[in-house]
Amino acid sequence: MMHKINDYTKSHEAFARAKRVIPSGIYGHQGPAEGCFIPTDAFPYFSSRAQGSYFWDVDGNRFIDYMCAYGPNILGYNDPDVDEAARKQREMGDCITAPTERMIEFAELLVDTVACADWAFFAKNGNDATSGAVLCARAYTHRKKIVFFKGYYHGVSAWTQKADYPGVLEEDVANNIYIPWNDLDALHTVFETYKGQIAAVIGQPYMHGNFADNQLPKAGFWQEVRRVCTENDTVLIIDDVRAGFRLDIAGSDHYFGFEADLICFCKALANGYNVSALCGKEFLKNTMSSLSYTGSYWLSAVPFAAGIACIQKMKRLDMPRMLIEKGQKLSDGLLAAAHKYGYDLHISGVPSLFYLRLADDPTLMLHQAWIAECVKRGVYFTNHHNHFINASLSDEDIRETVEIADEAFAVLRQRNGSSVNRA
Amino acid sequence: MTDTRTKAFLNLHAILGSLPMLCALDADASALLQAKNTDRTVGICVTNGPAGIFSFQGGACTYTECTPGTPSTLGTPSTLDRRACDILLSFPTPEKFNGMIDGTVTPIPKKGLTKAGFLTGPFTRLTDRLTAYLRPEKAALADPAFFRISTYLMFHVIAHAVCCIGNEDAIGQLSASYIPDGTLLLSAGSDISFAICFKDHKLTLSADPAKEHITSEMRFADLTTARALFDGAINAVSSVGDGIIQMRGMIPQVDNVNRILDRVALYLA
Repeated sequence: MMHKINDYTKSHEAFARAKRVIPSGIYGHQGPAEGCFIPTDAFPYFSSRAQGSYFWDVDGNRFIDYMCAYGPNILGYNDPDVDEAARKQREMGDCITAPTERMIEFAELLVDTVACADWAFFAKNGNDATSGAVLCARAYTHRKKIVFFKGYYHGVSAWTQKADYPGVLEEDVANNIYIPWNDLDALHTVFETYKGQIAAVIGQPYMHGNFADNQLPKAGFWQEVRRVCTENDTVLIIDDVRAGFRLDIAGSDHYFGFEADLICFCKALANGYNVSALCGKEFLKNTMSSLSYTGSYWLSAVPFAAGIACIQKMKRLDMPRMLIEKGQKLSDGLLAAAHKYGYDLHISGVPSLFYLRLADDPTLMLHQAWIAECVKRGVYFTNHHNHFINASLSDEDIRETVEIADEAFAVLRQRNGSSVNRA
Repeated sequence: MTDTRTKAFLNLHAILGSLPMLCALDADASALLQAKNTDRTVGICVTNGPAGIFSFQGGACTYTECTPGTPSTLGTPSTLDRRACDILLSFPTPEKFNGMIDGTVTPIPKKGLTKAGFLTGPFTRLTDRLTAYLRPEKAALADPAFFRISTYLMFHVIAHAVCCIGNEDAIGQLSASYIPDGTLLLSAGSDISFAICFKDHKLTLSADPAKEHITSEMRFADLTTARALFDGAINAVSSVGDGIIQMRGMIPQVDNVNRILDRVALYLA
């Protein structure tokens, strides 16, 4: 069966309206520029609703959604257990002068769940958690420098960006040190060069940067990073905002067999309710207490209630194992479809956070064309970013996805003939 | 913040370096070079800065970059052969050269004093004509022919300026350090295209885009779109959403060139 090609008339009308009153219409990662809508006419711009594994755009097109709101949707959109917990708390109060006990319960649950956590500190976005972690590390060590792994993403504060980004000062990033991922020699060198000056090493549990195959840590990599940090009294920060709970319910550091000093969560923490958490070791608790770091909505109760329900359900369902199995099933289907048409599809990263790349064309134009054909037919992939599996994704969804991917490969093959060319 | 030395590269290679295109596109400019005693070779040499040779012959102009020790943004490195120059303008500092471009410094030829009439005559009229196209009166742009030449030249200056800034400016070099090897095609409709080649984080402007293996593209729907973007009349990000600017291929090339383009605006302001 050939799938219908989506029409996006209303999306584009809405965009024309949006750009009159909103900078660039849709800013950031969900917009057509940063979101790499290539070509733009293959992608929907605005959604109208979501349920389970799907969202519908304003034109009524349904998508099997493999971006999951870029991560937050882990149980399925509108999960009944999480939404019920949130509803009950909303009736009692949300943003109140004094925080509710949900905050304590949520912190207790995280301390019981996350292997390296002795305490939890709450905020709203992943960027709040990573920025809090860096502040904490600098306050504890009285040092300035932070080591990053190239290809990182730790948020949008000035310290996370680069000196050539608009509005960022060279001074904002003057204490950033960048080393290649998986390069222990480089790590040793910077610790020798900046002895006694490095406040923290910050890294995602594995390299899930954009536009490139995702890379897992080499055997022993994190263990050596851990050893070097400990030896140099440097704080080891794991940014688990993206991967958190999709690898290991106890934290991605636990998955890779080491312990972070600070670990940052957001996205999957509350199935879409807006809360982030910074968890840490006991020795950093007093320092965290000393920071002047808070926000108007950081202690709101509804997201805490949602987070509690989300974590409890993820534990009940053995969530990472389930997502990895679903991701593997999907990966197997996509690889078989690619193989059928003679395409070299690379799938990297952990299956619950899989990254796709058609390796036949290093310019990525062929890959972008394939992704566009999938999206036009109702499978929401991106061409630049890792994807996300959620618990509500069914075998039928996977079957339909593979069917559409197959059809998209057929379109490319017809367009390009027997030889592999750029689209 | 802009860097004086980088500005000198941009002034010589990108702006004066557009004289060949001006002569090719504008019959009046070409005519200026068809008078008597206008077949001349002019060398410009800036200490601790760029160097290049302009050859004017039969109404046409060619430009060769020849800055020792620095990558040529045209990919044709050579040394400045003083003997080949009828006229040589030598500047002790980038500031002095930039002053000539701004009109605050009057150069005295180090060689070719007897031919200096070419500088004060045809060459000055040529650069005045270039300025008219690059800093056009709004009314002049209403003429389609003028609009076309002006936008071609502006596009060329910007593409070349990207190379200068990516190679010489400290922040531009940072952006360039994230650009993988390959070639970005910048085009406006079917009218015009430029290709910027990246090799080991050095940028060169291709002499012939059609011969390059293109690894990324940034396409403006037409010259009007390109003009509007260069003039700041439209926003690049929302224009991507509108589909009037399209990109594909190795997006880190597009993305980092966009960061350099921000600095082009700063240098050309």
